[in-house]
Amino acid sequence: MKAARIALLAILVIVPASGVLQTARAQDPVRRPVQDFVPPAAGSYRLPPIQDAGNGWVLEGNYFPRRLARYTHDAYTLLTFVYTYCSDPVGCPLAYSTLDAVKNGVVADQRLRGKVRLVCLSFDPTHDTPGAMQTYGGLNIRDTRVPWHFLTTYSMTTLAPILDGYGQDIEVVHDASGKATRARTHMLKMFLIDRQSRVREIYSAAFLQPEVILNDLRTLAMEDAAMQAR
Amino acid sequence: MNTLTRRVATAGLLALLLIATVRTATADETCNSPYTARLIKGQEQFLHVWVLGVKGMGDGSDKLVTVDSDPKSKDYGKVIHTVSVGGRGEAHHMGFTDDRRYLWAGRLDDNKIFVFDVGSDPAKPALVRTIDNFESSSGYVGPHTFYATPGRVMIQGLSNSKDHGGVTGIAVYSNAGEFVAKYDMPTGKSAIGTGDGYGYDIGINPAKNVMLTSSFTGWTNYMMDLGTLIKDPEAMKNFGSTMALWDFKAMKPTQVFEVPGAPLEIRWNLAGGADWAITATALTSKLWLIKQDKDGKWQAKAVADIGDPSKIPLPVDISITADGKGLWVNTFMDGKTRYFDMTNPESPKQTYEIVSGKQVNMVSQSWDGKRVYLTSSLLANWDKKGADDEQFLRAYDWDGKQLTRKFELDFYALKLGRAHHMKFSAKPAQVAAADRAR
Repeated sequence: MKAARIALLAILVIVPASGVLQTARAQDPVRRPVQDFVPPAAGSYRLPPIQDAGNGWVLEGNYFPRRLARYTHDAYTLLTFVYTYCSDPVGCPLAYSTLDAVKNGVVADQRLRGKVRLVCLSFDPTHDTPGAMQTYGGLNIRDTRVPWHFLTTYSMTTLAPILDGYGQDIEVVHDASGKATRARTHMLKMFLIDRQSRVREIYSAAFLQPEVILNDLRTLAMEDAAMQAR
Repeated sequence: MNTLTRRVATAGLLALLLIATVRTATADETCNSPYTARLIKGQEQFLHVWVLGVKGMGDGSDKLVTVDSDPKSKDYGKVIHTVSVGGRGEAHHMGFTDDRRYLWAGRLDDNKIFVFDVGSDPAKPALVRTIDNFESSSGYVGPHTFYATPGRVMIQGLSNSKDHGGVTGIAVYSNAGEFVAKYDMPTGKSAIGTGDGYGYDIGINPAKNVMLTSSFTGWTNYMMDLGTLIKDPEAMKNFGSTMALWDFKAMKPTQVFEVPGAPLEIRWNLAGGADWAITATALTSKLWLIKQDKDGKWQAKAVADIGDPSKIPLPVDISITADGKGLWVNTFMDGKTRYFDMTNPESPKQTYEIVSGKQVNMVSQSWDGKRVYLTSSLLANWDKKGADDEQFLRAYDWDGKQLTRKFELDFYALKLGRAHHMKFSAKPAQVAAADRAR
């Protein structure tokens, strides 16, 4: 048992977690949006608050209820909705891949290190149990350099108000006989939330560019630094 | 379940999952924001028409009229639903939210914005919200273009509350209807050019992170009787003559182009990474191309006349084909619908025209370009008078050579009012996902 722990520790230390994940997800069909421009410099633009971050009851790792609000304040949070078996090349795999790239950027940037949190919340509480979400998160859950939380909910009843709060659409796909399938239709959205739980940017598939997101994170960090300096 | 059966079932499920998830569209029925989802690539089932009420006609109120546009339906070509919003405030344009669940419709006179739920049952849109703080929150007047961005709607104003002239800006609202921010159009001489402050349409190219805006005229002019306006030389000076290029992410103008004669609708061609945009100037009757030169600098240049500019045919709405190789252009004064071959955008060629009405304004086409819809009203005080004041929705099939009329609705005979902007919708089963995202 002790040997197993040492082996696991060795893996965590020697191999960057995101690298392992990227290898494991190398087969994922991800289609990134074209970025044929140099993003504006961090701090050269504003990110006006769009709305308050939504709240509700969520689960992480077990069935103990937690408020989503605990994951959306006191850090710059990137939150997105996923389901673990989504295979859309411009859907959940793109969101995961983008967060992975952002994570690497955060790790490499001293201005952002320790200030950013990533959150994936499942669309499908029926199939994406707390355990399934932990499996989905893999080693990213244990990588403390950038906290990455993989959440789900008890049921659609508890999920629905959260989705409404964020304006995130979701529809269950029915087969020809009218029977509900596991498939979901949704518009990929990722929410950038500031330390005061305000949504400051919303990205969709056409604008999900890690370089842009990293500059947005830096813009918020610079804004906070300027506020503190006053 | 044996292994083969399991594999087949798994493959089927994966295929289902692959086609199920909605993607962001490159363009939506060829002219909407690239951030709009649920592209209708098949048959549009419903046509929503934003209608100006006419005093003494029906209930006299502005209204959203829904028409069945599915040829297989028993109600094909009929009005199946109306929602009156109360009063008359110069109903004009509409736009979907990014998720296409809601349709925002504006009025240029009283600045009210009506939000309709078209996602729950597109056959029966329901008014769910009225936004009445556009002027007080932004200082702008005349909410014209409604342009979806993720979680937000950008609203291009036409005027301002101080002098009702053409200097204006863009207001941003959350999808929930809350004011978020405002951005003034560029004015005065600076390193980026000389801005006149006017606004009209918005067009974004996400891959290039650029936004184009165009320019029209202020409240004083667009609420004036057209005959009076044309005879007023001073008033005729108050039209926009610029387009602005913006860094969309930063929401900062970076370049101002001189485009004389009120450049109106903006249509990006994103097919194949072509990355050019086209607009038509109302007063000078020309097509203008906005494109990067060999050094990567954006340039605007006139590339074609629309009809005989000396006769002021007044180009109004334009509609680009999904592949960017064709462009419909309506000219209000001569009531013509024209088709331009855009294979070489540097030199568009008109290949077809018909007189489609005594007056014609908006044109919308299906994604496959096989169906074209026209409406008649420009502005309440600019529409023609007497027998020339036809108010219609006309639906056509396009075979690449000619338009064939499929149905017509006389909006006066139906006591509905003046037919203006159109948007398509379909029930979820009819909605196809976009095939790519940029």
